Amino acid sequence: MYHPDVDVTHRYKYAPADFVKHLLSTTVVVAILTMTLSAIFHEPVRPAIKINQYAKQHPVEFVRVAMGDLDGKGEIADYGPPYNHGTRMVQDFVQKAVGILHPVYPRQAFVLKPLEYASVLNPNIKKYLNRFNEASRAQQKIWENNYAHALSHAHYNGAIVVPPGSYGPVPGMMQGLLQLGQSGLMTGALDRSPADYQFDNQNSLLFLQGRPLHHAASKLELKGNQWGIIHEENAPFPGPWWMTIVTAIYQIPFISHASAADAMALGSGMILFLFLMFAPWIPVLNRLPRYLGVHRLIWRDYYKKYHAKDFTM
Amino acid sequence: MNLTVILRQKMGQLFSLDTWLPTELPEYATGFMYTLGSLTASSFVMLLLSGIVMAANGPQWWTISGIGFFVRGVHFWSVQAFFFFMVMHLLRVFFSGAWRGGRQRTWLLGTLALLIAVPTAFTGYLMRGDFYSQWNAVQAKDGLNALGMAWFNTLNAGQMYGLHVIVFPFVLGYIIAVHIAMVRIKGVVPPYPTHEELKEQGAIKPLNKKEGQNVSSGR
Repeated sequence: MYHPDVDVTHRYKYAPADFVKHLLSTTVVVAILTMTLSAIFHEPVRPAIKINQYAKQHPVEFVRVAMGDLDGKGEIADYGPPYNHGTRMVQDFVQKAVGILHPVYPRQAFVLKPLEYASVLNPNIKKYLNRFNEASRAQQKIWENNYAHALSHAHYNGAIVVPPGSYGPVPGMMQGLLQLGQSGLMTGALDRSPADYQFDNQNSLLFLQGRPLHHAASKLELKGNQWGIIHEENAPFPGPWWMTIVTAIYQIPFISHASAADAMALGSGMILFLFLMFAPWIPVLNRLPRYLGVHRLIWRDYYKKYHAKDFTM
Repeated sequence: MNLTVILRQKMGQLFSLDTWLPTELPEYATGFMYTLGSLTASSFVMLLLSGIVMAANGPQWWTISGIGFFVRGVHFWSVQAFFFFMVMHLLRVFFSGAWRGGRQRTWLLGTLALLIAVPTAFTGYLMRGDFYSQWNAVQAKDGLNALGMAWFNTLNAGQMYGLHVIVFPFVLGYIIAVHIAMVRIKGVVPPYPTHEELKEQGAIKPLNKKEGQNVSSGR
């Protein structure tokens, strides 16, 4: 039985204290500590991946990402709720129940719409776009599939070069999109707000989220299976180590290989935390500290003073 | 039922000088182990101060100004200090069985503060505006979407900024304040009584060996 009422001692006195001085002292200590650490070590910064930088350094990969968005086979194009009607990333019924909260249709939002903006500056793009839009959906699919396959043999020499084939206007469109990407204007074409003020970078991040960011993260050992959540990108800075338990759960093969890996890892992390939160009401757990005996060290001086006879370490 | 009377009673104790400005403390509640909670609160104060300076200068300031970069550094190290001291404090109170003597809700609020501190810090990491922000925003979205929390859109910097600078700090600050008030009102948990003290109080029967072992703790 747990005895909450008899489980506290009544043998103690009060001693004079200056609570304000105590709080001021700890604040001064933390202020000096954090300002010194900031002055000496600064803090970690690794510049963001920009679309124009990626388009210049990895032009073929850029076009592969864009083709996934156009033909609907890309990660975001086939993601599912909360972005669209896809199925690839739907982990459970709760995700489905929430519905499409942040609509993103990459074919339009990531490819055709940015090309429309670019066509104002480059009339050639308008020509390709018109030909594409006037074709039947079946014809568009044939062009898209042919070009997507051809990209595995592509190289870049100022333009994307693929073996000859029936691609329709798709190569011209992709070349236009690549130029838009390299120009630095693509982010603005992706992140559009109904009001002119821009606070939301959802679409530019979703465009980059697949291969571009994963490639960079993998090199920095930031991926989930590399204990990435708790790594700081710039060692030796401390990362968000308070996420260690959730990160550890991600390493369990049963969870990391599951289709609902994220839901399972975060869900089990939360269940573990609930045990901690409700420890006072959980039998055995609520009496555990007494048996562990660490309190004898914490109150070592107290026990020596009041219970010298019956206190043994 | 007079709501005003009930509020007067509750708030009278919550905001009393005895609660917030004690002039004496239990003699067992001294030493470094008992500064961990205060160091956590002080780290939170540093987070608020550096955060207010940054919020007043706008979300680009710390990426383009030397002073801004320094203040961001103070904020970064303060959050490290905050979690470090909070976890140390958590360990101390856990090993003390700090929920004894009707202090369960104090413990519950403390753990709730830790729980809320996680998204508070996380939304801050999304405000760095560097690769780490990009990567965490896209990585976190899948888990949140799967848990039906798509409303919490890590890719929407505006929403994350609002949550980080006002919503989470307000909730966290409130929980911390009530937690501290409850620690003061209930008093810091006293040590476990020793076997002999329990026997003297008649809480355990000296001859009942099994019962005695269950209740005694100080030996």
